Amino acid sequence: MPRLLRILTIVSLTAAAVFTAGAIAGLREAPPVRPAGTTAVPADRQAQAIARAQDRLKVLPRDHATWAALGVAYVERARVTADPSLYPRAEGALRRSLSLRSSSEALVGLGALANARHEFAAARDHALAALRLNEFSADAYGVLADAYTQLGSSAAATRAVQKMLDLRPGLAAYARASYDLEQRGSLAEATALMRRALDAAADPADIAFCRDQLGDLAWSRGDLAGASAEYAAGLAAAPTYQPLLRGKARVDAASGRLAHATAGAASVAQRTPTPDTLLEYAVLLRVAGRTADADRQLGLAAAAHRVFEANGGRDDLAGAQIALGRGDSRTAVRLAESELSRRPFLEVADVLGQALHAAGRDREALGYARRAASGAPSAAYAYHLATVALSLGDRSTALTQLRRVRELNPYFSPADGPTAARALAALEARS
Amino acid sequence: MTTRSRRAAAFGATALVLAATVAGLGPSAGSASSHREAPLIASDPAADNTDVYAFVSPDRAGYVTFIANWIPFEEPNGGPNFYPFATDAAYKINVDSDGDAKPDAVFRWTFKNDDRRGTKTFLYNNGPVTSLDDENLLFRQTYTLESSFGGGPFRTRIKDAPVAPSWTGAASMPRYQTLRDQATVTLQGGWKLFAGQADDPFFLDLRAFDLLYGGDLSETGQDTVAGFNVNTIAIQVPFKDVALGGDAKRNPVIGVWSTTDRNRVRITGDSTPTMGDDRVQVSRLGNPLVNELVVPAGLKDAFNSISPDKDAGIPAVVKRVTDPELARLIEGIYKIPAPATPRNDLVEIYLTGITTKAKGPIKADLNSQLNNKDVDPNRFRPSEMLRLNLGVPVSATPKRLGVLDGDLQGFPNGRRLTDDTVDISLQAVEGAAQTGKLVDALAAGDKVDANDQRFGASFPYVALPNVAAVNSGASASPPTAPAASPAAAPATSPPDMRPVAADQNTGRDAALVVAASVGGAAALLFLVTLGWLRRRARRI
Repeated sequence: MPRLLRILTIVSLTAAAVFTAGAIAGLREAPPVRPAGTTAVPADRQAQAIARAQDRLKVLPRDHATWAALGVAYVERARVTADPSLYPRAEGALRRSLSLRSSSEALVGLGALANARHEFAAARDHALAALRLNEFSADAYGVLADAYTQLGSSAAATRAVQKMLDLRPGLAAYARASYDLEQRGSLAEATALMRRALDAAADPADIAFCRDQLGDLAWSRGDLAGASAEYAAGLAAAPTYQPLLRGKARVDAASGRLAHATAGAASVAQRTPTPDTLLEYAVLLRVAGRTADADRQLGLAAAAHRVFEANGGRDDLAGAQIALGRGDSRTAVRLAESELSRRPFLEVADVLGQALHAAGRDREALGYARRAASGAPSAAYAYHLATVALSLGDRSTALTQLRRVRELNPYFSPADGPTAARALAALEARS
Repeated sequence: MTTRSRRAAAFGATALVLAATVAGLGPSAGSASSHREAPLIASDPAADNTDVYAFVSPDRAGYVTFIANWIPFEEPNGGPNFYPFATDAAYKINVDSDGDAKPDAVFRWTFKNDDRRGTKTFLYNNGPVTSLDDENLLFRQTYTLESSFGGGPFRTRIKDAPVAPSWTGAASMPRYQTLRDQATVTLQGGWKLFAGQADDPFFLDLRAFDLLYGGDLSETGQDTVAGFNVNTIAIQVPFKDVALGGDAKRNPVIGVWSTTDRNRVRITGDSTPTMGDDRVQVSRLGNPLVNELVVPAGLKDAFNSISPDKDAGIPAVVKRVTDPELARLIEGIYKIPAPATPRNDLVEIYLTGITTKAKGPIKADLNSQLNNKDVDPNRFRPSEMLRLNLGVPVSATPKRLGVLDGDLQGFPNGRRLTDDTVDISLQAVEGAAQTGKLVDALAAGDKVDANDQRFGASFPYVALPNVAAVNSGASASPPTAPAASPAAAPATSPPDMRPVAADQNTGRDAALVVAASVGGAAALLFLVTLGWLRRRARRI
């Protein structure tokens, strides 16, 4: 039996590897190469750190600290490039480090990796283990804050962020503090702290991250010009940072430049084919009336999702969204419920609400939609609650929520934004 | 139509609107917030202290020079790569003259950007820059220096002082020495200031230490930080401004460390975050060889967070000094017996200064605040800092091996730019009185005996920045390399100072005593060095 199991494991691992390689090769386009002789881009310390660590470990394979640093760098790289195939490499480096010597750095790396793979409970445990070794580790508090946020323990998350701020104020702490404030609805303060993070940013990828967040913050208040300016400034520092390109496509769509938006989303989805980018592209294709193309992108989104899971990730939220897009509401409900049981996070409640609504189970959907809409000032959540309320015949809630959509960000979705506006007009005209 | 039926119609119409349109799917802008993956290990080079130097100015009697460097491994390849100081940080040099491990003099720099690039360009300069106020220089920094003495309030010493820019190449900045000179400021009271880019004065070969990991010494002789630049902050002040009671004759010993602070931000309690004058220390550096000794990997973060007065209160820190794990490691590899513990000699070297007053094993008085005549010994607190006896005369012929070679003006009595801190450790290993056994393979140390750039003869002493790309292999010599090293420059007039105190031996004999005693600590020094170097390597 164990023998059979081993064989099965080997077979399935091989299959996964083949699939992963194939999927990556098929989906992922090489990043554009800068022609020689053009202006040099600012030094990418992250890429340098990986190269130097690799060189060093070739000579000194027992250097546990460098193994840990390499593992952490892989996790960061995976975040920036949205490439999940780096996860197994990160895990290998971190486990190697721990096998040589236990350290808070390696545990922090495992925690960051677990967060990236959406294993938030495991991430929390790694962070707590790191803190037992090193109570001054701001990085461990960062991992802990991320995990608590996703696990729905917002007070504990806030405390962890504050510890991080007290130990080592800097970009990583400011960014998390900004997110924490944003979640609590303090958008002006969240913006101020993200500006501070930007001031502290040195690497192009970090500058891009801060600009993207500032753009999203502007976007979330319906400030298209402000969002556009931030995305452009970010792209000047890091021309291929995909969240910025996605933001730019969103602004294009909201400004009526649908062809631009679709082309932009296509290029992002081609270069970094993640479920998110492919779904966004699919939405724009549908809005443009290219249903068959949209369906093809949904198929690719499902493939990208399998790649993420083949690399040790688990993301039933993305799975639920893909199922929703394909009209498979039963699967969407099942996956969203499974995600919510692990991660009682607002967006998961929102998607479960949508899935139940799509399945015609509006009475059950209502609680989840309310939870999301009352938890954060989001036009999308408000819109979703409005759709559920309308199905249940509750026009007054629908009206309130649709007005909220208009007030927060009428551009929130290229597909749903115009619908929300029309529905609101209809309701206001006749009430 | 009745109200009721009108409402029903309205509902129907709205529902239809919703049903008829494309169902939104997938993440909208909100997806970014579903699981925001923020940077965790963001580079923060602007907060990264690399080295601290403290020495009696060889060319200016009665003045001490402090040099602290930040932002390691600046690649001098021009273009968009320039390296500003952080504008959200406070850079400090701290001096403890009474030995209570709290600063008695603090010099604090804060920086401002003057960014004239607008939205049209990301270039640092759009033409040759011949002076600091050249309109072609599009991004500039200025600083404010404040100082505080005896725990008093900070007073502004200068505002809007210019920072020497990153040297982006001979074409952009043909006469960089001019820019350096313009950024060297003299204040009333004789203080000299400099802030800006410089060659990294540290010299070493990281690979010499790889031996411990199973490497070999076949590749010694290359300065592995050669060609990189750093951002330097330098200040020269009269002894009286930093000596206890303003009297460097009675109280010649000071302790020095640098810190980087950022404003404290609160997001709990109060509904709005506050960003005020309350600051958090994010990094700290004193004695270069002690970081990893006092604080191994697991305590590195703690050490960067705490002030020196807390050092002795952390048992793990003290234990790390008295019972160094790495001494056992070197015993395993080189068969050099680890000296018996507790290592009170190391406590003396790193936590108290070398003195007979703490009843330690080293029979010499060199650089502990306990030897200051006006110190209250009851308030003395062991702590890690770079300790300097201002009363040791400037050496006419400085030895790169400092105290171990009988040159009491050198490291670990303060630190000069020319002190070979790596080989000091290695040579100590060779002459180790307690081990009596040499590591033959290390006899020549790391074979990097001096910096690749020559140091200046006058303030701020550090060499001009490198301009050739590090990987190009081209010579990085600036055209105006100064003629002599600071320590090698004979003092223009005899220094106005005497040996510290009557009960101190600061002559050659004492040097030998110290050398022998320090030799006992050598294996550990060596290992500390190793850990520290590896830390530098990781910061790349």
